[in-house]
Amino acid sequence: MTTTEQPSNTVTDVDEGSATPVLAEGAPPEHSGHAEHPSAHPTATGVTSPKLAIWIFLASDCLFFGAFIAAYLLYRGHPNQKGPGPREVFNIPFTSITSFILLMSSLTMVLALAALQHGDLRRTRIWLMATALFGATFIGGQVFEFTEFARHGLHLDSNLFGSTFFVLTGFHGAHVSAGIIWLLSLWGLCMQGRLTQKDAQRLEIAGLYWHFVDIVWIVIFTVIYLVPQPGK
Amino acid sequence: MSETETQQTGGALERVGEALPPSVRTPAPGLLPGEVRPHPSPFQYVLIAVVLVVVTGIEVALSYTEGDLPDSLIVTLLLVMAIIKFTLVVSWYMHLRTDKPIFRRFFVMGLLAAVILYLVVLSSLHRFT
Repeated sequence: MTTTEQPSNTVTDVDEGSATPVLAEGAPPEHSGHAEHPSAHPTATGVTSPKLAIWIFLASDCLFFGAFIAAYLLYRGHPNQKGPGPREVFNIPFTSITSFILLMSSLTMVLALAALQHGDLRRTRIWLMATALFGATFIGGQVFEFTEFARHGLHLDSNLFGSTFFVLTGFHGAHVSAGIIWLLSLWGLCMQGRLTQKDAQRLEIAGLYWHFVDIVWIVIFTVIYLVPQPGK
Repeated sequence: MSETETQQTGGALERVGEALPPSVRTPAPGLLPGEVRPHPSPFQYVLIAVVLVVVTGIEVALSYTEGDLPDSLIVTLLLVMAIIKFTLVVSWYMHLRTDKPIFRRFFVMGLLAAVILYLVVLSSLHRFT
């Protein structure tokens, strides 16, 4: 790989046919609009602290959700459980639709970020609101699901399945709810003109959190809902 | 799929992409802090979403084959598809494939720690015996 200095503030990595202009560390970008970003100062790691912090938080959240998934798997199919089990209460078509909605919210989230990076504030607001609405729809579906489960006699203290299921999916729902509040606050800032192209990293960090709740649901949907239940 | 068919499919996608406005088919200008390469274009984001939806559809359909296929096969296929979806979202939507490797290292470290820790816990509690 050879590195060539450009007349402007960029360094071009010439790497087997794909030459991509990369902004030099600490150099003011010409057209990205991130020069005034408050976190653009040099750091020991060479990357901005907020973005590194959100990745470390997400890494720790893997352990948090892992504990609840492990607890669910540990007590899955445990004998001598009173009350309804997964086979009696799960509604796979309904949960598939809510999973689809959450997947689509990840798409609208990245479209919001792309629009902000292009400086298109109108589309940024539209996609942000769409993401929040998809998230709210997912939460609405979860509330409906929990209500139906309660109607079938499954509560937090009914049996081990109820305890582990409600704690796991409830904490995931709490994460989604926090994400909705975060997205709506960014939408409000965008409406006031306080979230512009130069603040794209703020939206990217919120997006990383949002996609994380999506990938956690990908695991929950497969492991909890779709994997064949014991005790045919 | 043969090489010719792959080229034809790729050509069709390129034609669809070219028909879109520049703000949809091109990546955002400049790089965000921590990026090594530009983010994907909105058109590429939509293509990833299509793949995610198709894989989810296959997953749901597979869960209905319980009784027709061995449970071990269903579980294996479901886990493989979940890993594919997980990797697509993390790589493309969370931009780990275009960001600096330090982010990937931190995330993979946490993920591996969780997987190993809870596999050890479940094994020690005889969940797999």
